[in-house]
Amino acid sequence: MGKPRVGIFGLTGCAGDQLVILNCEDQLLDLVTALDIRDFLTASSANDAGCGLDVALVEGAVLSQRDEEQLRRIRARTKLLAAIGTCAVWGGVAAMDGNGNRAKLLEDVYGGLGSSYDSTPARALHEVVRVDLNISGCPIEKEQILAAVANLLNGNPPVYPAYPVCTECRMRENNCLLVEKDEVCCGPLTVAGCNARCPELNVPCVGCRGPADDANVNSALAMFVEKGVSRERIAMRLRTFAGAGLAAGQGERG
Amino acid sequence: MSRTITVEHLARVEGHGGITVELDEDAVTSVQFDIFEGARLLEALLRGRSFEDVSPIVSRICAICSAAHSLTSLKATENAFGVEVSPQTALLRDLLYRGESIESHALHLFCLALPDYLNHPSVTALAADHPDAVRLGLRLKKLGNSIQETIGGRAVHPVNAVPGGFGKLPSMDQLVALRNGLVEGMADCEAMLDLFGSLPPADFCRADTVFAALSSPGDYGYCSGDEIAVLSNGRRQALRAAEYKSLTSETAVPHSHAKHSSFQGRPFMVGALARLTANREKLPRRAEQAARRIGLTLPSANPMDNNKAQAVELAFDVEYTLNLVERLLNGGLEEERPVPVRPRAGSGTAVSEAPRGLLFHSYSYDEQGRMIAADVVTPTALNAASIEDHFGQAVRQSLEKEIPALTRKLEMIARAYDPCLSCSVHVVRLRHGV
Repeated sequence: MGKPRVGIFGLTGCAGDQLVILNCEDQLLDLVTALDIRDFLTASSANDAGCGLDVALVEGAVLSQRDEEQLRRIRARTKLLAAIGTCAVWGGVAAMDGNGNRAKLLEDVYGGLGSSYDSTPARALHEVVRVDLNISGCPIEKEQILAAVANLLNGNPPVYPAYPVCTECRMRENNCLLVEKDEVCCGPLTVAGCNARCPELNVPCVGCRGPADDANVNSALAMFVEKGVSRERIAMRLRTFAGAGLAAGQGERG
Repeated sequence: MSRTITVEHLARVEGHGGITVELDEDAVTSVQFDIFEGARLLEALLRGRSFEDVSPIVSRICAICSAAHSLTSLKATENAFGVEVSPQTALLRDLLYRGESIESHALHLFCLALPDYLNHPSVTALAADHPDAVRLGLRLKKLGNSIQETIGGRAVHPVNAVPGGFGKLPSMDQLVALRNGLVEGMADCEAMLDLFGSLPPADFCRADTVFAALSSPGDYGYCSGDEIAVLSNGRRQALRAAEYKSLTSETAVPHSHAKHSSFQGRPFMVGALARLTANREKLPRRAEQAARRIGLTLPSANPMDNNKAQAVELAFDVEYTLNLVERLLNGGLEEERPVPVRPRAGSGTAVSEAPRGLLFHSYSYDEQGRMIAADVVTPTALNAASIEDHFGQAVRQSLEKEIPALTRKLEMIARAYDPCLSCSVHVVRLRHGV
């Protein structure tokens, strides 16, 4: 088999997940040797925008008609579509309000011109097309994207933890910010993979990786309430990165 | 006969944008820098959020300048609540800014701009013919990231900088590792200056440009002081951060999700070239020496010189950061917790120099520390009108009038600004009670 044909794309977002790929400084030259990267607009001005692809890595959320059309075109030309980053997997920060009154927000920002802009409510990729692999994180962790590439090159589907950040945090023997310091730490509900990056630094988890399938949601919520944190505050915190997903405790990914 | 220069989707920049220039014969009739990055309306979504949630949300405006957004946000919040951070925190924040600047400049210079000068489509294509140059760039980029990881806890969207200080201080071992990396970085910067000093000249757009930049009170830097210098026709005007709105008399334009800014009716340029120009009377020795070596004369009428200015800053920042880290290693770090932050009703504005130029965050909070109003003004939004102005100048001045040659020049100008289009659309103003 030849090298897999790969495309790397960004819809609406901060480009952080593409940046993480470029931040693999020690592996970048090996990556471009092992993969046939055909379409990567952020890094190259010579792209084949029409060829069939084996793998498409797509970051960002769908926030415009233009995004939706691009995503559908990518889906049509790729065998495997991987959502990279919390925006692509869950909708990310742009979806935090559940897209209440978007027309009003647009008008607040751009005045009378707002209504003429191409702008749609924030959606995760799976709400628009079939997604074959989800790699969450805001941004994704270097190790997880490299592991995904290595696994796919060997024909194996990558496997990611379903357990929460709490598990990693305990393995690092950190003092619990939630139990001992009454901080609103989202570690019990957020999917692991960052090696408890924030609590390790005495900073409560903000849930940037999205919900963990194996989280004990009821017990975590009960603990927040016991600590005197208002439900409104908990809900707001949990909605920040995963829209309705984390607040509801579970996701409905594609 | 009318002709159109179109770049549907600009490559090798952060975010989504294009260029449309209309010509009637050889006369320019319209110039548009189209920014079609989707509108995330993040600042509008901040309404009602607790002050603790604000900096992690606004850092997501942009990955490449996430440290600048985080730190400027923290400073605006601290200003609103009257919080004064310790000198050690200020120093560590300075270090984080430098790490971001080193990474961002190395990324732009080597991965996005250099391929233009050496006629390659990408840095990976460049690797085949110029492997040493690419490895050099990746080492410098990694150095910037290692500083951000050590101080900020993550290279993209830092997590360790919090209201009042830092979650955890770096260990001595981490600082020693940084110092070793920076010592190698000093040698790499010599090679970087040689490389960028030897590139073919890019001199096809001369413009009488207005520059705006933070005029640092002490060392050449990105985050201290709040006086902004605007240089126009040899005249220097000073503004305070709180008066930032006179720099951002923005108008929404139909072809772009970024608003356009002007100062006293003229577009202006922010970024590395503006910073060096505004501070040229007091440039540190290393920056002066680097500018000489790379052939950068200030003030410059050539916007492409922003690339050279970034190379000068890169060389200066590596030396400056090495000195900072040595100082920390000699003096030691004092164990301290973040200054307690007690919310109160009030407003705060902060300014800093993100890698691409002036960045403003301005917030109003209620007495419980919930956001009432937020305004974020980013460098690329400030630059958008100036980019269009320079597009027009380049087309008018070009002796080659064929579309492919003109297109290439316009793309090079756009990239020289190092635009960050994710950032550019975040220009929001909320009013109380809206």
